[in-house]
Amino acid sequence: MISLRGVSLVYPNGVHALDNVTLEIAKGDFVFLVGHSGTGKSSLMKLLYREARPSSGEIVVDGIRVDRLKSSRVPALRRHLGVVFQDFKLLSDKTVWENVAFAMQVTGAHTRDVMRQVPRVLDLVGLSHKSRMYPNELSGGEQQRTAIARALVNNPKILLCDEPSGNLDPSNTTEIMELLLRINLKGTTVVVATHNQAVVDRMRRRVVRLEDGRIVTDEERGYYYLGLGQGQVLSG
Amino acid sequence: MDWGKVKFFLGEVLRNFTRNASMQATAIGTVAITIVILGVFLFVRGELAGVGTQLLDQIEISAYFAPNATAAQIDSVRHAVAADPRVASVAFVPKKQGLSELRVRTKDAIDTSTLTENPLPDKIRVRVRLPDQVPAVAASIGRLKTVDNVVYGQTIVQRLLQLGDVMRRVGIAVIAIFLFVAGIIISNTIRLTVYARRREIAIMQLVGATNTYIRMPFICEGLLDGVIGALLAVAVLWVARATLWPRMLEALPWIGFGSTPIDLGAIVAELFLVGAAIGIVASWISVGRHLRT
Repeated sequence: MISLRGVSLVYPNGVHALDNVTLEIAKGDFVFLVGHSGTGKSSLMKLLYREARPSSGEIVVDGIRVDRLKSSRVPALRRHLGVVFQDFKLLSDKTVWENVAFAMQVTGAHTRDVMRQVPRVLDLVGLSHKSRMYPNELSGGEQQRTAIARALVNNPKILLCDEPSGNLDPSNTTEIMELLLRINLKGTTVVVATHNQAVVDRMRRRVVRLEDGRIVTDEERGYYYLGLGQGQVLSG
Repeated sequence: MDWGKVKFFLGEVLRNFTRNASMQATAIGTVAITIVILGVFLFVRGELAGVGTQLLDQIEISAYFAPNATAAQIDSVRHAVAADPRVASVAFVPKKQGLSELRVRTKDAIDTSTLTENPLPDKIRVRVRLPDQVPAVAASIGRLKTVDNVVYGQTIVQRLLQLGDVMRRVGIAVIAIFLFVAGIIISNTIRLTVYARRREIAIMQLVGATNTYIRMPFICEGLLDGVIGALLAVAVLWVARATLWPRMLEALPWIGFGSTPIDLGAIVAELFLVGAAIGIVASWISVGRHLRT
């Protein structure tokens, strides 16, 4: 579903964000990308939805050669992807319903499909009863669920989440992670970049660890730190 | 027809349009002022061109024959001139008729009865199809044998032709400058709304909206600026024409006198087209800068 081979990313200012990264993510996987801030998690995500282009290497997402993708084909790629961010990126002057519908309307969807699909995803994220509210009337967790609903409304095969719990308290975080898991169980490939140790250690899914732009570990049912269980902390 | 789509789209345009009302008003105002000036200019130019054409239409060339010219020679000159494709008409005026015309024109202020013989030469009166060909035709008639002298309103013809030329050039320059200024102001207005909506644009790009789709509401916004500006301008011009024009005609009776009426409908259509065009072009440019990926 997602494949990176020898991918490097050097920003114009000379910073090496990613260095020879090779990674395979299969259909239906649930993968945590972990590591301190500045280790290249977000950069890797940006390469996947073609917000950035690699300096070298090959990237395939859902059969599309993203590294060679022409600008005019980027919208087509993004319709296969859902992307969720730490800061939700909701439109404050639109209601929950309108925010979610927006993602379909601006891609030219038929109103009939919008009317059918929006209630479905709002139900999935548990916000049907708040569809007429505005983002600032919602809790952080509800705002993030709105953002997830928007990311899912076009039925993407892949959901990319960049620090989805970065602005949330622990209980909201748990709620969001359970939602992501439910989405994953329906067959969507989910990639979550995070530095939230508690979440990673509790969920016990595949963990890919980045350090200075390189993949240092890649474990099935891993912990945030290599070989350490929840509650344990590295000394120093 | 998917009315939901239309409603959504118009809602987006309206939202854009009303978000930045003061800036929108500035843009519309500038377009209106530009178009008022443009309209006055087109109107004045039309009127002046009318007056000019009317004056030029009355220009005729008089070619005087040498006193010893024979009837056959005069005839051959007449035919030669009439054969010139630039010439509209040729009339022979024998000296007798010339004298009686002179009497009428001077209303007997000159006592011609004291003349013992007719001092006037025979002449032909030539009208030319296009005013700017008058000098050339006059020169070619002057080269013909037995033609002594060719007279037409040399200075007035040349001045009118020059005036027309200058008017065209200055007009194009003035209009170009104003359109440029209006374009810049619309473009800045759109840039502000683009900036105000940068989050929306980012989200649209994120969920896979095409650049064309993202552009449309802004283009419509520019179009609205242009068309509303043109509408205001046409209203102002209409009122001005209804109230000021009759007074101007009173003061300067030669302006409208007998000249061919200007096609106001065509001018109005032109003004609307200009408004719409600057709106679209200006907004296209300013959104384009934001969409490069």
